[in-house]
Amino acid sequence: MNPSDLDRSEILTYLHTPALDADLSAALDVYIARLCDAAQPRSIYRVLPVEHTAEGVILGGLPLLGEDIARHLSGCKEAVLLAATLSASVDALIRRASVTDMTQAVMLDAIAGAAVERVCNDLETEIRTKHPYPYYTARFSAGYGDFPITQQGDLIRMLDAPRRIGLTVTTAQTLLPMKSVTAVIGLSHSPVQDARRFCCGKSCAECPYYNDCPRALRENPECFSV
Amino acid sequence: MDFRTLLLNEFVYLDGGMGTMLRLQPGELPERLNLTEPERVAAVHKAYAEAGSQIVYANTFGANPLKLAGTGVDPAESIKAAIRLAKDAVGDGVCVALDIGPTGQLLPPAGQMTFEAAYESFRVMCKAGEEAGADLIVIETMSDLLETKAAVLAAKETTSLPFMVTMTFTETGRTFTGCPVSAAALTLEGLGASAIGVNCSLGPKEILPLMQEMARWTSLPLIAKSNAGLPDPVTGEYDLSPDAFAALMPAYAECGVQFFGGCCGTTPEFIRAIRSKLEPIHRGKRSCSRPTAVCSGTKTVLLDMPRIIGERINPTGKKRMKQALLDGDFDYLRSEAIAQTEAGADILDVNVGTPGIQESEILPQAVQVILEVTDLPLQLDSSDPAALEAALRIYPGKPIVNSVNGKAESLQTVLPLVKHYGAAIVGLTLDENGIPSSAEARYAIGERILHSAMQLGIPKEDVFLDCLTLTASTGENGPSETLRAVQRVREELGLQTVLGVSNISFGLPNRPLINRNFLCMALANGLTLPIMNPMAEGMTDTVRAYRMLAGFDANCENYIAAYQDAGVSASPQTSNDNLTLADAVIHGLRQDAAILTRDALKAYAPLDVVNEMLIPALDAVGADYESGKVFLPQLIQAATAAQSAFGVIKQQMSEQGGDQANKGRIVIATVQGDVHDIGKNIVRLLLENYGYEVIDLGKDVPPQKIVDAAISNQVQLVGLSALMTTTVGAMEETIKLLRQQYPECKTVVGGAVLTADYAETIGADYYAKDAKATVDYAKTVYEPQ
Repeated sequence: MNPSDLDRSEILTYLHTPALDADLSAALDVYIARLCDAAQPRSIYRVLPVEHTAEGVILGGLPLLGEDIARHLSGCKEAVLLAATLSASVDALIRRASVTDMTQAVMLDAIAGAAVERVCNDLETEIRTKHPYPYYTARFSAGYGDFPITQQGDLIRMLDAPRRIGLTVTTAQTLLPMKSVTAVIGLSHSPVQDARRFCCGKSCAECPYYNDCPRALRENPECFSV
Repeated sequence: MDFRTLLLNEFVYLDGGMGTMLRLQPGELPERLNLTEPERVAAVHKAYAEAGSQIVYANTFGANPLKLAGTGVDPAESIKAAIRLAKDAVGDGVCVALDIGPTGQLLPPAGQMTFEAAYESFRVMCKAGEEAGADLIVIETMSDLLETKAAVLAAKETTSLPFMVTMTFTETGRTFTGCPVSAAALTLEGLGASAIGVNCSLGPKEILPLMQEMARWTSLPLIAKSNAGLPDPVTGEYDLSPDAFAALMPAYAECGVQFFGGCCGTTPEFIRAIRSKLEPIHRGKRSCSRPTAVCSGTKTVLLDMPRIIGERINPTGKKRMKQALLDGDFDYLRSEAIAQTEAGADILDVNVGTPGIQESEILPQAVQVILEVTDLPLQLDSSDPAALEAALRIYPGKPIVNSVNGKAESLQTVLPLVKHYGAAIVGLTLDENGIPSSAEARYAIGERILHSAMQLGIPKEDVFLDCLTLTASTGENGPSETLRAVQRVREELGLQTVLGVSNISFGLPNRPLINRNFLCMALANGLTLPIMNPMAEGMTDTVRAYRMLAGFDANCENYIAAYQDAGVSASPQTSNDNLTLADAVIHGLRQDAAILTRDALKAYAPLDVVNEMLIPALDAVGADYESGKVFLPQLIQAATAAQSAFGVIKQQMSEQGGDQANKGRIVIATVQGDVHDIGKNIVRLLLENYGYEVIDLGKDVPPQKIVDAAISNQVQLVGLSALMTTTVGAMEETIKLLRQQYPECKTVVGGAVLTADYAETIGADYYAKDAKATVDYAKTVYEPQ
């Protein structure tokens, strides 16, 4: 992973900071390099059949709970299930910094957030090249809307993620290593609403994360209304 | 067929994929099939036996109690059925192995499963496997060396079966948890595996270099069981044909691999193809010499040149460390570990022996927290065999045990532990008659220790001898006798030599001068493992210079790297003479803040420095943060600068024996199940800045433990953090227990998933939107106006 791969403005968003002074900015460069050095990004995905039923949506034989994921995948006959992680070495880097220098720890944490986003974006590009479809939805993860985070374990097992990329889930449904993501992307032959291209099927007004949404802060929120 | 007989064969053939052959439907649990469709599983074993497999793995990979929880499948029943059906299917000519895979959860430092929970789950599996008549145990697809060790110890301590171990590596030569091939080999050989190797992970082409690497680190038989290439994301099919797979096997045979099979995507056709490829050829010769090395779960240190053992984690003569251990303040241990690592230590000695603590309880805890922050291998230092054993159990890797001595009792209690856990051992050249004054007598004791160790099967290269540094002031021949003994041990026995260097100068003026010179003399006389303070001026420098001058540093590369400019400093520093302490804090200048605090303490009382300089500065930054003039990074930077100022003040107060200036104690914790603690750590930092004594229980803390800490410390406020919707329940439970058992205590909660309304619903007294808000609330609790 290269320092130039990371979006600085996204890192600042995660730090809830519009700008950094010269010293902190120089420090950020050092920490970005350190994080890129430590990260061993790994990702996997599977293309799975989607079945819509009265009870909800079924992905590769696994019933996904909640109406939001069903709405997100509406019209899709296939979907991608993906998982990505920066690996345990990044957790270790942040843990060590927490002991000696909290400023560094907080900045590394934000950088890692942007880095795992980047890994997902790269994987999505790869998926679009290898599995060309007319339309794709945005990534939708367990824990968004009413898609319960308690399904994290099912998703991990479906991908064989512990064995293939070392990604595990705790009994409290936390992904470990911590800087990791699982998500579903719908593959569609018909156009998907803007909201589903960028986010979930809900309107931004309904979204519980609207105030913290990095996208809404950086881009025009108008784009996201259904 | 007896496994030990098979070991005499040139090649031993294992089986291939089980999941691949079962053609599982979505949601189908392989371990359930042992009970519901035994004939389907038996058919797979039969097919492998017919293809020439000499060992088949029973369908028990995931039959772990932790993995099967909630599925309704009883692990022991599934295992017993699996072993029996496999034995029936393959007959007497083929060995049946109990197959043990990982639990799917991570142990510390990466995860939160306890060693005991992992061990217990593996113990259940091993017991059932042996009872059902398994011929051997196979532990496979392991990524975490500590989890592997839990499985190995369960196999060793529960059964009398032989066991083999294979781990899964990435193309970087490390497992997902960062374990290098070398550390796996060193540790597993020490623990007594019959054969070790690599399985799963990748295709045979990618695994070959890993096998070649492993062959360099062990004398054990080697196992290769790779995947049939890579899986297709749509079909799930693997991309290598049996012939393409088998074509790569002769290269494995050449590097000495004895056990051959396949993992995901391989079928009986693969085993047939491997056999026909290998039958006409011979196994390559293996080198018989093993490198002398120690390791943690993530780092191997080869003892091919003098290596520094950091001595700082030891309470002897260190007030601050003693107090930290008594208070359970593991952060002090963590920071000492980091400081020594950064100063150039290669190995860290860990000694927690001090009156008032239970060593067998604290030593393993200390080991665990130190390994959270450093990769360095550890030297477990205790005279209490129970403490040594407790630490040896949970240590991932091959540690050094410090120490055994020539006394019969010591030899009898310590050496069996060293053998059982596969450690290296430091032998002190003293016995029932004390420390002999002559080099010859110390050498003789050393020889005796070596002999006793080797009799127990501890390899010679794992015995290190400490010829004991006596204080120079006690006799003019002392130092030279020590050096002569070191020289003889190194030259005549060829062993690693250990010395506690700084003992030499005890009671004399200008100790650093003596230490540096003695270190240099000792290195020249064959000292390979100086135990020393790597931060003491000139000590690490002396070792680096020695390595370079003695020919251990090709092209002076390491020497040059160590003394080139270290790069951008993380903490900005100014040389502005007019800088005040308040400015230093406001601008987040950590080093300046410490220096200016030292100056301020010459003129002002510690409490005045806190109240007149530090707190107003923090208030100013806090106000700017709230009004949006500065942001989170600046706030934390100011807080860390204040923290370094408080560090200086604390140090001075503890030296003067005065009371710590504190406004009250607060217990904080990340609730059970939650492992996110960065927010909680920021809260702690700010609370400490404002003079509160924070009892930080860490993350994933059970409700009752939080309540107990609140009661025993009689705190007025407990702070709880949760980041997951799934762990808010634990937060609610904690608050409920507090209300019942300690109703006068207030609670403040925070974390990404919480809101003020939600906090109220779960019964919290206050919701803090950020760390600053927590401090403001603490003030209302502890300093009501």
